[in-house]
Amino acid sequence: CYTCVVSLHSLRMSIKFPRSFRLLEELEEGQKGGGDGTVSWGLADDDDMTLTHWNGMIIGPAKTVYDGRIYSLKIDCGTRYPEHPPHVRFVNKINLTGVNSSNGVVDIKSVTALSRWKNSYNIRMVLQELRQHMMMKENNRLSQPPEGQVYSN
Amino acid sequence: MADQGAADPGNNNNNKPEASEGTIIKVTVKTPKDKEEIAIAEDASVTQFKEEISRRFKAKQDQLVLIFAGKILKDGDSLSQHGIKDGLTVHLVIKTAHKAGDGGSTSASSSTSTQAGSTSTSSPPTNPSSTTGSTGSAPPPTQTPNILTGFGDLAGLAGLGMGSANFMELQQQMQRQLMSNPEMLSQIMENPLVQNMMSNPDLMRQMIMANPQMQQLMERNPEISHMLNNPELMRQTMELARNPAMMQEMMRNQDRALSNLESIPGGYNALRRMYTDIQEPMFSAAREQFGSNPFSALGGTSESGAQPSRTENREPLPNPWGPPNSSNPSESGAASTGSTSTTGGTNPSVSNPLGINPGSLGNGMFNSPGMQSLLQQISENPQLMQNMLSAPYMRSMMQSLAQNPELASQVLMNNPLFAGNPQLQEQFRAQLPIFLQQMQNPEALSVMTNPRAMQALMQIQQGLQTLQTEAPGLMPSLMTGGIPGIPTGGGLPAENPASSPNVFPFILFLQTQTPEVRFQSQLDQLNAMGFINREANLQALIATGGDINAAIERLLGSQPS
Repeated sequence: CYTCVVSLHSLRMSIKFPRSFRLLEELEEGQKGGGDGTVSWGLADDDDMTLTHWNGMIIGPAKTVYDGRIYSLKIDCGTRYPEHPPHVRFVNKINLTGVNSSNGVVDIKSVTALSRWKNSYNIRMVLQELRQHMMMKENNRLSQPPEGQVYSN
Repeated sequence: MADQGAADPGNNNNNKPEASEGTIIKVTVKTPKDKEEIAIAEDASVTQFKEEISRRFKAKQDQLVLIFAGKILKDGDSLSQHGIKDGLTVHLVIKTAHKAGDGGSTSASSSTSTQAGSTSTSSPPTNPSSTTGSTGSAPPPTQTPNILTGFGDLAGLAGLGMGSANFMELQQQMQRQLMSNPEMLSQIMENPLVQNMMSNPDLMRQMIMANPQMQQLMERNPEISHMLNNPELMRQTMELARNPAMMQEMMRNQDRALSNLESIPGGYNALRRMYTDIQEPMFSAAREQFGSNPFSALGGTSESGAQPSRTENREPLPNPWGPPNSSNPSESGAASTGSTSTTGGTNPSVSNPLGINPGSLGNGMFNSPGMQSLLQQISENPQLMQNMLSAPYMRSMMQSLAQNPELASQVLMNNPLFAGNPQLQEQFRAQLPIFLQQMQNPEALSVMTNPRAMQALMQIQQGLQTLQTEAPGLMPSLMTGGIPGIPTGGGLPAENPASSPNVFPFILFLQTQTPEVRFQSQLDQLNAMGFINREANLQALIATGGDINAAIERLLGSQPS
């Protein structure tokens, strides 16, 4: 019926945008220095039109073992983002609960932002959340691998 | 790249053209504690940038770590390589000797995003400021007019009966109308039928799924199917559809936000490509439906400017969000492409994806190119019709319309199809009850889904057109009186025993395309010019497809005076 397709068309338009639009917003925010300067994020590859692969960066918080370090992360926003949380892993080696010590993959359940993910969350929050995680008592004194080491994958 | 673009540390507005090649850009350098704006040549290297920074921040160059968009900037890189442009922000970490970098402070100190609050935390639709694209409910508002149109087009539905492929046209038509007539819109919205339909996400999903183009799209973009399967989103969409003002706000926000996004080096490309990728199939579907040139039959509507802008706008433009782009003067490169699409028409914006130019739509839109392709589409997509028509809401809508001829006729009268043609209105009103019954007749439905039947109908239509060409005077009388007689005389395959009443709606539909109707305005004009031979006028118009000037030439050619 006519109406169906009309509305179909409308909804089609509206539907295709959520993920892309969101990610583009995040891209823009990342380039404009969103957040407070302690985290940064951006597209890994400017030609990635699926906006899937992102770089993240966390500046280690002061008064923790992570102080002075800059942690690079890889963040993948899948097709279901933002309904589903992104996949996050550290590039630089880090000793932090919830982070797999052999490949740097962040365990979703251990990070609040990821485990109770809402579609209003975003990459910035993930990074900030991880940074907060570093400041927690259970983490902020863990001995760290030497600076500059990266996971092999 | 030997020149330093920013040789004067104390001057923020340093526009010294010292850099031989690059222009000077202003980049914000931010530490958690501090923020400085540094002018640097566009083509400067990271090293040069650091030199400037070390002066400004009073730190040694080798203590500086620069981060942009999640990447560490290496000395050998150039700023442009990372996409660092005017107005963007680079993060700075100053490594002090004892590993306590300046970058390690707690949060919230300088929460000075240069971007005004673009966080997407809570996304109340009531926030019309800046670029707050609400996240969860981001998608629905973009298509405000379309969604509204969709439901406004309910009005057109009963009139059309078949619906299916030619939504774009009708939609835009209705959209235009709706935009100019908010009352009607709210009336329609209040229609319990509409609300009922809108409140049922399953139905919506059904409808959407049924469209083959949609299915194609879904294959390409699984995210679409996810969205469809998200009842919450559907509900949000419908909520927003009910609230036109809110939707318009969101639309504007989204447009603005998206226009800002064009400027981002990577994002712009991605945006464009994804837009192309997704929009293109839709547009080509629309294009198909329109035939090659939807407005060629628009006869009197002389918005020739709109026409090229229309087709142009459907191309995958580099800047699909056109005009709003101008609100962002600082973005240079990507933004400049935005000016291409302003050929006098309305560019496809997020809120107006088909670049609808209200002025270019006219009553003539129902003319043959569209309708012919409509029938073609129907015959090609029987499944489409089947699915559409079997949707339960369809039945209920038909029922309610049948029970309430008042409403139906009101609704019909508002249909732009009839707007300029009181004759038609009268006819239609008279035949309305019968018409509605036909629509409910399952036979009718099966006819619609029968491709052969569709083809036969097309044949009929073509036959009718031939008739009209040969004997233009004949058709009007056929219209008023002899309609039901025609189908039985036509070459309908005997697939459907009850073919005659079933075909009625279609025939009626076809009647709307008699040249007499189509060219009504042209005929009037010709009359006004002094061409009083109606028959000849009609023939000329038919021959020239509604082009008045050509018709006049023809007429003058045959009657030199």
